[in-house]
Amino acid sequence: MKKQHFDPITLEILWRRLVSIVDEADASVARTAFSSLLRDAHDYTCMFTDSRGQELVQGTFCTPGQAGAMALGVKKIIQSMPLDSYKEGDVFIVNDPWLLAGHLNDVCVLSPIFFKERPVAFTACVFHHSDIGGRVSSDNREVFEEGIYIPVTRLYDAGVLNQDLLNMIRWNVRTPEEVTGDIRSQVAANHVCAEKIIEMMTEENLTTLDDLADEIITRTETSMRAAIEKIPDGTYDHKGVIEGAGSRPDIHVQLAVTVDGSDIHVDFAGTSSQVDWGVNVVYNFTYAYVFMAIKSAFDPDIPINEGAIRPVHMTAPEGSIINCRFPAAVAARMQVGHFMTEMVFNALAPATPDRVIAGSGGTPAQTNILYGKRGNGKPWHTMIIRGGGMGASRNMDGHHCAIFPANGANTPVEILESDTPLIVTERGLVTDSGGPGRQRGGIGRLMTLRVPTVEESGGHPPSRTTIAVQAGRFVYPPDGIFGGKPGACARFLKNTEPADPSGLTFLDPGDSITFVSAGGGGYGDPVERDPQAVLCDVQYGYVSVEKAKTDYKVVIDPDALTLDLDATRILRHKPKGV
Amino acid sequence: MDQSGFRLGCDIGGTFTDFVLVNTRTGEFFTNKCLTTPNDPSDAVEKGIKELLQVKPGFLDQVEDVIHGTTLVINAIIERKGAKTGLITTKGFRDVLELGREIRYDAYDIFSQYPAPIVPRALRKEIDERVTADGRVLAPVDEKQVRALVTDFQKQGIESLAVCCINSYENPVNEQVLQRIIQDADPDLSTSFSFEVLPQIREYERTCTTAVNAYVKPITFQYLERLTLRLADMGFLGRLYIMLSSGGITSVETARKFPVRIIESGPTAAVIASQHYGKMFHIKDMFCFDMGGTTAKSCLIQKGNAGLVSTFEVGRVQRFKKGSGLPIQVPVVDLMEIGAGGGSIAKISSLGLLAVGPESAGADPGPACYNQGGENPTVTDADLVLGYLDPDFFLGGTMALDIGKSRTAIEEKIANPLGTSVTEAAFGIHDLINETMAAAAKTHIAEKGGNPSSVVMSAFGGAGPVHAYGLAKKIGAKSILVPPLAGVGSALGFFTAPVAFDLSRSHRLALGEADFGDIEDLFAQLEKEGAAILADAAKDTRVMFQRTLLMRFVGQGAETDLVIDPKPFTQWSHKEIRDRFDTEYKRLYGRTYPETPVEFVTFKVRASLPQKPFSMPRLTGKANTLAACIKGQRKAFSVVNKTYIDFTVYDRSLLFAGAGFAGPAIIEERESTIVMGEDASATVDDTGFVWIRIGEETR
Repeated sequence: MKKQHFDPITLEILWRRLVSIVDEADASVARTAFSSLLRDAHDYTCMFTDSRGQELVQGTFCTPGQAGAMALGVKKIIQSMPLDSYKEGDVFIVNDPWLLAGHLNDVCVLSPIFFKERPVAFTACVFHHSDIGGRVSSDNREVFEEGIYIPVTRLYDAGVLNQDLLNMIRWNVRTPEEVTGDIRSQVAANHVCAEKIIEMMTEENLTTLDDLADEIITRTETSMRAAIEKIPDGTYDHKGVIEGAGSRPDIHVQLAVTVDGSDIHVDFAGTSSQVDWGVNVVYNFTYAYVFMAIKSAFDPDIPINEGAIRPVHMTAPEGSIINCRFPAAVAARMQVGHFMTEMVFNALAPATPDRVIAGSGGTPAQTNILYGKRGNGKPWHTMIIRGGGMGASRNMDGHHCAIFPANGANTPVEILESDTPLIVTERGLVTDSGGPGRQRGGIGRLMTLRVPTVEESGGHPPSRTTIAVQAGRFVYPPDGIFGGKPGACARFLKNTEPADPSGLTFLDPGDSITFVSAGGGGYGDPVERDPQAVLCDVQYGYVSVEKAKTDYKVVIDPDALTLDLDATRILRHKPKGV
Repeated sequence: MDQSGFRLGCDIGGTFTDFVLVNTRTGEFFTNKCLTTPNDPSDAVEKGIKELLQVKPGFLDQVEDVIHGTTLVINAIIERKGAKTGLITTKGFRDVLELGREIRYDAYDIFSQYPAPIVPRALRKEIDERVTADGRVLAPVDEKQVRALVTDFQKQGIESLAVCCINSYENPVNEQVLQRIIQDADPDLSTSFSFEVLPQIREYERTCTTAVNAYVKPITFQYLERLTLRLADMGFLGRLYIMLSSGGITSVETARKFPVRIIESGPTAAVIASQHYGKMFHIKDMFCFDMGGTTAKSCLIQKGNAGLVSTFEVGRVQRFKKGSGLPIQVPVVDLMEIGAGGGSIAKISSLGLLAVGPESAGADPGPACYNQGGENPTVTDADLVLGYLDPDFFLGGTMALDIGKSRTAIEEKIANPLGTSVTEAAFGIHDLINETMAAAAKTHIAEKGGNPSSVVMSAFGGAGPVHAYGLAKKIGAKSILVPPLAGVGSALGFFTAPVAFDLSRSHRLALGEADFGDIEDLFAQLEKEGAAILADAAKDTRVMFQRTLLMRFVGQGAETDLVIDPKPFTQWSHKEIRDRFDTEYKRLYGRTYPETPVEFVTFKVRASLPQKPFSMPRLTGKANTLAACIKGQRKAFSVVNKTYIDFTVYDRSLLFAGAGFAGPAIIEERESTIVMGEDASATVDDTGFVWIRIGEETR
């Protein structure tokens, strides 16, 4: 068949429509999902591909780890079967960590889209299910302990539900109603996407999406290559360290980023081997956050598709922690994987100082799984995620509290309290947690929650509550760059005393737990920060009067909160050592 | 004395304040337009009315009602010119407003900017009080502490105070105690309480909506006070109504209390006018299209009804980027606003493609043709080069346009880089902005279950009638309706808005266990409250109610809306309600699960009064032959033949009832210009509407 061409204007219109289609599917999730991790915290990604499995569009509000891994994994799944073996009404389900987003909780539902009796595209979504069964902890030794493992399987075969499979899943999780509801929400999101694509093809008289995909993908690749061209050629090395949880040894990551014309190659030779606890990362997930670094620093405006990933190459030793072999434990893979973006930034910082940010407190995303039973015996189970202060950049202070490089929202306190018996006593910013710098790192935040006492629960106290923590930055804070200082470390407290975040923590009625997330690293020498900006930080309570003096060499009257410019000048110009 | 009554519509926009005066007995009407006065918008209102008095002396004491829409509130938020506002919240939660929902709205942009909280940190204070999620009071309010806080706030010089306590949506008792203490401690302080502004779960959205209400409350109060006085001074004896974002109108008292409900007061008016026309002409699906200088607003109106949504964003720091603004959760007409207007700037994107908007040249420097120093080509420049606009008849000839400047800008910035002719580039700009609007329009229409090819488009705004024909062709629409006075269509739209108010109550209840008698009681209570609010606004007692159920599968976090007949709820059976839910869920998401239990979450009531009878003014031009209406011929670009051809130019003010003619034609009026190609034909009805059909045999 003759290849269809699109003039630039038509192309632009159709492209935009494709983006709005996937965003509509994305928006439907908030209306249909069951768990607060999806409907409130938005831990999911929707996308679709052309008939060859090439990613065409992903949701604007995606999570980069899921999205980047899907670009590789969904294509592999689609291409594993001949196109004519797909049937209309087929819906596949899979959570194989090595095929997709790196742990069992990320479940993918994938459907072929049929138009005039031919499969023309595939729509897929990955949802992070709060519960996938197994032993919820980051200290499992193998993936078998982490929950139910679903290979690529038909959930619907030509429109007919595979009830046996659904039963199998339901009997392997703690919260079958919620998991089933969320799987149905995935099927609904794909339905919305498929309907709209068919509608568009009908209206636009298209018989295939592949010609349109070729145009879009080629344009995107060109744009990405043009952006990479601007980075000076060369090889940029970086060695990074990630703390081991509890008494476990540190993890070393070594990378060499080679820029060669319009291609970038990231090589991880020399990186630590995989470990016998849950922080191992599959290739796809590592790639996703390497890609995130390149895309966000150099070409953030163009919607992502297959074309954007083509110039970004990665090699990682098999069996290393960032390209682990089956059956490594992977549940807490973000504790290592999220660092990849920062590591690439650190490698490239000398070459492109205006395109990178300092270390972020939301690297890795801080997650907690909490469960127990209410006073009436009814089980409850939830998962919350949170970020920290973002790293500062050449021209901007770090944003307070965001999950970076992943993405997601908080669960409102009122939702958390109505879904669980817990009481949240505080959620707020932490003074002096932002790394000092000419541009200050973003502020970290604190959250304290408590299991109600007999009295507070109206006479029916809940059972002991179990908490699993997947987090980091307790030992090594987010670094500053170009003379900026690190942000404050994360902390984990039980009844206001430091506690061990690795493994499981148990709370009885009256016990409280506090999560403090790290602040972002600063950019540039803090002594160069505008004293007025420091004053403003003090007035807002971001920085204390004491730290203004010691870190920024700015003198502020502690009562009036006014700037003493003369004293500041003297302090800033005092020779070192005097 | 003339026994006739009058109604006056007055719409304050970004650039112009529009007036429409109608004689309710004769149907005669008068219009005026004057420059908006941002410092005190009531200046322009007074000036405009005085000018109208010169045309129609002594009308003001016969005006029954003045209906008013204003961008005052939205501008105060966007420009951050509201009151110095304090916030009181539960201990531990003063940063709720600053943390927001923490999502990065642009996942791949590490340099994203976020909106600053509407109340800065130093003005956010906490008190010891606590209510649990199931509504039990864990800690009561400490009066002494509250009084000390109020004193602190007074020292800081706050002008308005917002109060939002955790879980007050479930039990407002602590907020009610706070209300009593604060009003006693400082009776003059402007206050806003979340249990009154937005009694709904999710503390960030509720706090933000309440804080924004507090932020604009004093400015709205003062403005409405001043406006009321000035109108009274001039001799106005009737009632003043304010347009709500939801499309109803309300009393000054309610608008003062809940200014957050009048944020979209302006853009809503054209939609409301279209609703009326939709009903008037029995049009099943009407697509309202209102294109101004910076943005285009559009809305699908089905059987005369526009949809309502319960949340929107204001003050986006990244224009048109979802997630970069402050969330406001009040009922608002489901209109779509995109960055496409006459001032939208054309450029070459980093992909080497033509791009138009969303940046706008605004009024200063404006399009290149304004000759005010603007060097960027805009949509208006393209329209001028294509011959659609007359350089000597812009705004009725009061503003001369420089077509040479338009050509130069298009040539240098677009045609040369793309290697095309100026004409091709100009048509590219015109066509792309139409494509942009068409893509948005199709999505919007499709989302609401309509079909773009069967809608009737209604065109408003300065640029609306210029682009309606091209847009209609893109979306496949066959007919366009250009109402009289499309340029001041919003002010006219006010006359068609009913007095109305929306109320809701959250109350989770499993369908299986629900006592429909209790639900009837709940609806009856809401209806009673609604009737009381309407009694504030009018003496009319013929209150009508619409009931909506918000339901979901047990365990879901959001609801599916079901509008139900207002018969007593006890007359429904459980099965009927269940079937309604399943049908709607299946329509939206492809499958439903009848074995999975469902629950009620929220009950909504819209209370409204019958709309005052309003018939369009009888419009008959002075001319009685077509030849007399023709101003001349001009070369303009044909969308069909892709070349310049002769268009006949008509003067709309002369067109008479029954006039009909074929394209290519341009119909000029003072505020706007209608363009139609050679495959279109027009007729004028006896109310002055121009009906355009596309793709039919011309007469």
